Amino acid sequence: MTLSMLATAIAVEGRKAAASRVLTSTAILLTAGVAALAAATTAAASSGNEQLAAKLGPLAAAGGWPAVLDVATQVTAAAGLLAFGVGLSWMFGREFTDGTITGLFGLPVSRPALALAKLVVFLLWAAATATALTIAVALTGLAVTGQVPHPADWAGLGRLLALAAMTATLAIPAAWAATLGRGLLPAIATIVGLMAVTQMIVVAGADGGWFPPAAPALWALLPATIAPAQLLLAATFPIAFSMLTLHAWHRLQLDR
Amino acid sequence: MTTPRLRACALTRQFGGGAGVSGIDLEVAAGEIHALVGLNGAGKTTLMRLLLGMLHPTAGRVHVDGRPLPTADWANVGHLVETPLAYGELDGRTNLILAARLHGADAGQAARMVDAVLAELNLTSYAAVQARRMSLGNRQRLGLASALQHHPRVIVLDEPTNALDPSGVILLREALLRRAADGAGILVSSHHLDEVARVAHRITVINAGRVIGTLDPHGVDIERSFFALVHADDTHHDRNAS
Repeated sequence: MTLSMLATAIAVEGRKAAASRVLTSTAILLTAGVAALAAATTAAASSGNEQLAAKLGPLAAAGGWPAVLDVATQVTAAAGLLAFGVGLSWMFGREFTDGTITGLFGLPVSRPALALAKLVVFLLWAAATATALTIAVALTGLAVTGQVPHPADWAGLGRLLALAAMTATLAIPAAWAATLGRGLLPAIATIVGLMAVTQMIVVAGADGGWFPPAAPALWALLPATIAPAQLLLAATFPIAFSMLTLHAWHRLQLDR
Repeated sequence: MTTPRLRACALTRQFGGGAGVSGIDLEVAAGEIHALVGLNGAGKTTLMRLLLGMLHPTAGRVHVDGRPLPTADWANVGHLVETPLAYGELDGRTNLILAARLHGADAGQAARMVDAVLAELNLTSYAAVQARRMSLGNRQRLGLASALQHHPRVIVLDEPTNALDPSGVILLREALLRRAADGAGILVSSHHLDEVARVAHRITVINAGRVIGTLDPHGVDIERSFFALVHADDTHHDRNAS
């Protein structure tokens, strides 16, 4: 794989992503959804809805910026994995469901270069979406609380941005699943399964920090409970699945 | 003797249930249009997938323009197997530009190629139309344009006349004859024996995953000859099986 080959692949994949309604609408839905849920739940909790306050926990029930950030962080951890997973499933799975994969053989641009370009474009899209989401939550916090953020709130917004970006990388198994399963549905099922297992591990009270998909959310919510080694382990998870995806595209055969 | 544009030696790939191809020897010379004909399920698409690296053979070798498959110069290959390389959300011109870039053209070359092929295949009025809004026939033309626009030396087309209207069939025939005259080696599969007879220099018949003979494109009753070959092969096969 040469650099010029990769540059061509990134240009092609970037053009496809820019025209994609799936990626645009997923980014808008995630951004608007997180901001709206943070605003609505914070407003309801601070207006004395005790049931909701009990469900959200003490931090969110306290109201103000901490509540907005706590709700936004919780929602981003779960909905972000689904949304980024849908985006990635589409980018890889559509080549199989649309049948365009046949046209990606017999080219001077290798298939691993195309797969890497898809991952690069996905990460660029995810970074833009994470930034938009954080700005939307910041504007929501200003509107709901009527106060500028304190230094601790700025730190919370920073962790939200990092969480959204890390959550995007945790969705990379969807690319591998779309390739092995030759379509969208196996990839979506993988993401839903990953969400379910993560929730079970966190709710069961196990030491979720050692489970890579759970570590970023636990760090964003309770930074002191996560060790650097646990975050480092979480970082190896997307790298491993990226390598598996490139390997699967290298060995790909249209035998099914 | 010049190097064939495409060469398969003892090519074999078997699937469960007896499908696949076995021991296929095939050559496509420079300047030649070589047609593959056979009934549905005879193994034409499997053979084309093997020739293009979409499937790995269990035995045998493929050479593309004199080079083994893994080191082939893919910038000089154009193909359309089953589905056109056309993304629904992109318009005709953008789809062709991306295909040209993937075949190694820079931005300037790609723009010139696309203008030329849009005119050649009468697609200019669809340049700004999203592929998802095109008819099946125009999507097929777009896929053919994508395979032919960079004037490859090796062309592989699986049922290229599928969904084409009569004017599309004539445009394709002329485009293939022009490229063959320029030295390209072209392999096409088809069910349409009369169309194959008009365009092909050589016709190979495939049945049950094997090459069973050839047909003379200038023969008087090519359809009768085709069915006679297939019937003789099936009878021979049945007799050996029983």
